[in-house]
Amino acid sequence: MSHPPGIRIFFKTIVARAYPRFVGSHRNLTWLVTETLLPLIGTIAMIYVYRALHAPARYLGFVVLGGVLLAFWQNVIWSMATQFFWDRGGGNLELFAMAPTSLAAILLGMALGGVYMSLTRSAAVLLVASTLFGIGYSTASLLPALGIFVLTVCALYCLGMVLASLFLFYQREAWQLADALQEPIYFLSGFYFPVRSLGAVVGGVGSLIPLTLGLDAIRQLVLPGTPQFIPLTWEVIAIVVQILAYGLLSQVSLRYLELQSRQDARLILRST
Amino acid sequence: MSEAIAQWRGFKAATRLGWKISSNWTQPLIFVIYSVIRPLSAAFILVIMYRVISGGAPGTGAYLAFLVSGVAFWSFVQYGFAGLSNGIVEDRGEYKMLKYVYTSPAHFYVYLLGRGLAQLASAVASAGIVLVVATIALRLPIDPLRVNYAQLLAASFLALLAVIGMAMAYGLLLLQAVDAHGYGELGSGVLYVISGAIFPITVLPGVLATLAALSPLAYWMELIRRSLLGSQAIRMFPALSDGDVMLRLVVTTAATLLLAHLVFTWADRQARRKGLIDMESNW
Repeated sequence: MSHPPGIRIFFKTIVARAYPRFVGSHRNLTWLVTETLLPLIGTIAMIYVYRALHAPARYLGFVVLGGVLLAFWQNVIWSMATQFFWDRGGGNLELFAMAPTSLAAILLGMALGGVYMSLTRSAAVLLVASTLFGIGYSTASLLPALGIFVLTVCALYCLGMVLASLFLFYQREAWQLADALQEPIYFLSGFYFPVRSLGAVVGGVGSLIPLTLGLDAIRQLVLPGTPQFIPLTWEVIAIVVQILAYGLLSQVSLRYLELQSRQDARLILRST
Repeated sequence: MSEAIAQWRGFKAATRLGWKISSNWTQPLIFVIYSVIRPLSAAFILVIMYRVISGGAPGTGAYLAFLVSGVAFWSFVQYGFAGLSNGIVEDRGEYKMLKYVYTSPAHFYVYLLGRGLAQLASAVASAGIVLVVATIALRLPIDPLRVNYAQLLAASFLALLAVIGMAMAYGLLLLQAVDAHGYGELGSGVLYVISGAIFPITVLPGVLATLAALSPLAYWMELIRRSLLGSQAIRMFPALSDGDVMLRLVVTTAATLLLAHLVFTWADRQARRKGLIDMESNW
């Protein structure tokens, strides 16, 4: 009996794991509602804060762009970082571990499907919030902005893969940990205000999260007048470095933590 | 008498259970950090947003106090509303014990009240720490010796009743869904926008402003600020005296509880009729 080559299995696994997310993104209406409305409501609330402060119009654009990337962050936290935790609870993780493929391919498939899922939600946030509040953007640098957006999302999901392996170590506390990675990250990444306002130290720490630099770079391109945190070129270089670093780290940590989880029987240890 | 004892026991057990579920996943210190890190970060976000616009001009303390007090006390709604409504769904789907609660001697209302009040301790700690940290760090004009504690407690008691009532009704409605993940947060997000927690409700457009004016949360927020800041409070209802605002809080709370009871009763009947109480859900 001949076996298909490893590379073919790897790519088939990516497609197979991404598929439910592609389909589920429009089939599961309850998720569609929460994943779209949660970032949208947060965005609208912050827009009203700026309106109450009589802020210039571009600040409303800051908030909307933050809301767009917020949809991605929530997906990374709830559908990447915690995914193996949910899979373990549902009994799928042991099946993944037994299957003749790698967990890395499964993670990549999750990321691919997650990006698509988040893209639909964030597009809705952008469209609805911009229309409701009449927010305009500069289209002169739209292509470079889209390029940086793609790089940022790649770096973000590489970070998500690192977190996914880390979460294999957690039990009940995984839920609370994911919960705690919301407002503090919104703050550190400058979701609702210019990143420069955080100062060098806090902004520097926040820059470990790819959203921080990506958001600042995109704002500089589509919202002229945005206070610059660091020059655009440096931000792009830093994001590319993050893609490589987090991508590599995710593979190393995944192998190490998978081995540890097998030794500690955590791959099948359900928690409630 | 024995009936009252049974209800009291049920209430105690529910409160203890709610507290254990929400807190025993970690060490006490980590739990305290977890409880305050989100509201503290939310307060920092608003402070920076305000500073970006105001440029750190003098005399900004009153508006910062407006923002911080709203965020600090919002923990009560976050824990009370999202926590309780999610709890009902978790009791059914994750712990599979909702049917046993229905069949126990304690009234379901009593159980849910206990489960909701269990969230109160976390909310009190969270609100207290956020207020203390922000008052010291931002030099907010809050003087602990001049706070109108009686008004603050009375207003918070009424608002909590309203929040728990809304959460009970909403949680029962969520039993209709197979997968209700995130819906507790969604509900509290909507309340966040119409409560006046982080901006005056006058900023809202017509329909939302009317909804906000019918909600007890807006009057609660107003009384919190007046209690904490006295004459320095930025007022959402400058034409109303403290007594008028309290009266509106009482009336809107009573109306909210009545509406919540009607919704709860309807949702409960639907749940029993459709067999939703022990339905397998997406966990």
